[in-house]
Amino acid sequence: MIQALRHHVRTGWLFPCAMVGALLTGTPVRSWAAEDAGLWLGKMNQALANRNYDGTFFHLSGGRVQTMRIVHRVRAGRVMERLQLLDGPGREFVRNDDELTCYLPDQHTVLVEPRQDRGPFLGSLPQFGADTGEYYRLETLPDARILGRMAHVIAVNPKDQFRFGYRLWLDEKTAMPLKTQLCDSHGEVLEQILFARLDMPENIPDAELAPTVNTEGMRWVRQGPAHEAASPSLSGFRVSELPPGFKLTVEGAQTIGDASAPASHLVYSDGLATVSVFIEAQSPAPGTAAPGTASVTGPVTGSVTGPATGSDPASAAPPADAPVQGLARVGSGYAFSTVVQGHQVTAVGEVPALTVEFMAHSVKGGAEPAHH
Amino acid sequence: MSEQIREQVSAFLDGELPSTETELLLKRLTRDGELRESFGRYALIGEALRGGRTTRLTKGFAARVNLAIDGEPVPASGTVGLKSAARWWRPFAGAAVVAGVAAVAIVAMQQRSLAPGVAGPGVTISGAGAPAAAALNVSTPVPSAAPMLAANHEAISYTVPSAPSAAPSGRLTNYMFAHSKYSYGLAQRGVLADLLINDDEPAGAVREPAKQIPARVAP
Repeated sequence: MIQALRHHVRTGWLFPCAMVGALLTGTPVRSWAAEDAGLWLGKMNQALANRNYDGTFFHLSGGRVQTMRIVHRVRAGRVMERLQLLDGPGREFVRNDDELTCYLPDQHTVLVEPRQDRGPFLGSLPQFGADTGEYYRLETLPDARILGRMAHVIAVNPKDQFRFGYRLWLDEKTAMPLKTQLCDSHGEVLEQILFARLDMPENIPDAELAPTVNTEGMRWVRQGPAHEAASPSLSGFRVSELPPGFKLTVEGAQTIGDASAPASHLVYSDGLATVSVFIEAQSPAPGTAAPGTASVTGPVTGSVTGPATGSDPASAAPPADAPVQGLARVGSGYAFSTVVQGHQVTAVGEVPALTVEFMAHSVKGGAEPAHH
Repeated sequence: MSEQIREQVSAFLDGELPSTETELLLKRLTRDGELRESFGRYALIGEALRGGRTTRLTKGFAARVNLAIDGEPVPASGTVGLKSAARWWRPFAGAAVVAGVAAVAIVAMQQRSLAPGVAGPGVTISGAGAPAAAALNVSTPVPSAAPMLAANHEAISYTVPSAPSAAPSGRLTNYMFAHSKYSYGLAQRGVLADLLINDDEPAGAVREPAKQIPARVAP
């Protein structure tokens, strides 16, 4: 099972003591920088999880820019968040401790999904340990000014071509990430988040967390329990050879779209990057969403209420009779589909194309040919 | 883009725009799609000229730089009272620096021309750990990661095909959504942000044709 995000909890005196200790023992400067960077990443995780904040940021990817607003509130141990696209179709995500609700006004649809992941929308990083350090190198870069504030700049550099890295500009006073970049192994920026406004109020009223979308007449789709079982014919499939550092962390099943049977869902991680591998017993059913929309994953056990006005996502996708094969770019990550022993295999993740292709082609069934 | 807005964008990207003006710029950007596009281009150029320690210029980047140069008037020298000498677009005021950017673009093109495996669509792996199997219409890596890393640090190249969007976009979105709950924070944010964005192009389309990703082996 994937580890829950844990936060660095370090007291203020540890860092200066460590600095003196390192000077006395002649610890290389480079490890110093990594230590400092690790401390700041811990502070960032604490700030993202525990502070109230309300900000507007630019999301830059592929030369395009979108403006989004994030509202994050922690009250009596309960976390609520709202992520809103300010330009375009006005889509919004609202998350509380248990559920993620996606408001898709352009699709006249509201999707509700149980979510156990507690990480903030804005994103955090796992604690860096020895394993993670084998594949990523932490680095402290010169301070910079962002939003009129001084920021510590931290780089998380991948050591090979199988994973992406990050650069983070952390507010000197609050450790909030004022700017983050997703980079490839050469440092090329693939995606960027840049805050234009960031407030950290003591209290955030309920109204700021309520969706602005008028849901009257919209179709509500509520997903059922997340735990399913893959058929025995799928349970023997694994990625036989993995890129360095990746390990199987989650094994489960998931119904994709309106497929008649759940797919085997394997999750592999190197401690920072994750790749999902889906194995389906037969040619997949058509997707349930129009291009670019979030759709239903898992069985739709809840009732559909309200008229399905406008475009119906269920009828928007063309039928898919043939197996899917090839590489596709999805957001800042990649997906690669192929067929293994008559099964549809798709690997997806925020990793380079090389990684998803490598893993998809490495999938093998059990000792006996899988039935289908 | 007016000179005033250009300066605002520049100051914002330098972290020096006052908060009151930032609010105004934000409102403009939210309303104005063209301005957002220009903003995106300036942000890209800014990253390069700001001296990103390891920033590499790909074909896509070079194209966007050219687009930005072609699409935006170059300010005349000394016409703007800049507050900061560090403004990244200030060099555009001088023809010499425009030439410098062009030279950078040429270097990027030379790098492309030297790189193998860019002739046509399809995935090509060459060099150490190169493929022996070909399951599709592409050559594929031998699924053995260790030899790839241990192969004398010899660089390999990897080419993303120009139009490989094979899966129906709705299904790709479903996969990504299912995957997002297992992503770590920063990656998850990226996935969710992408799901919020309404693409004009089908999700899953490759936005940068024939992007070169030269592989580098860990030292």
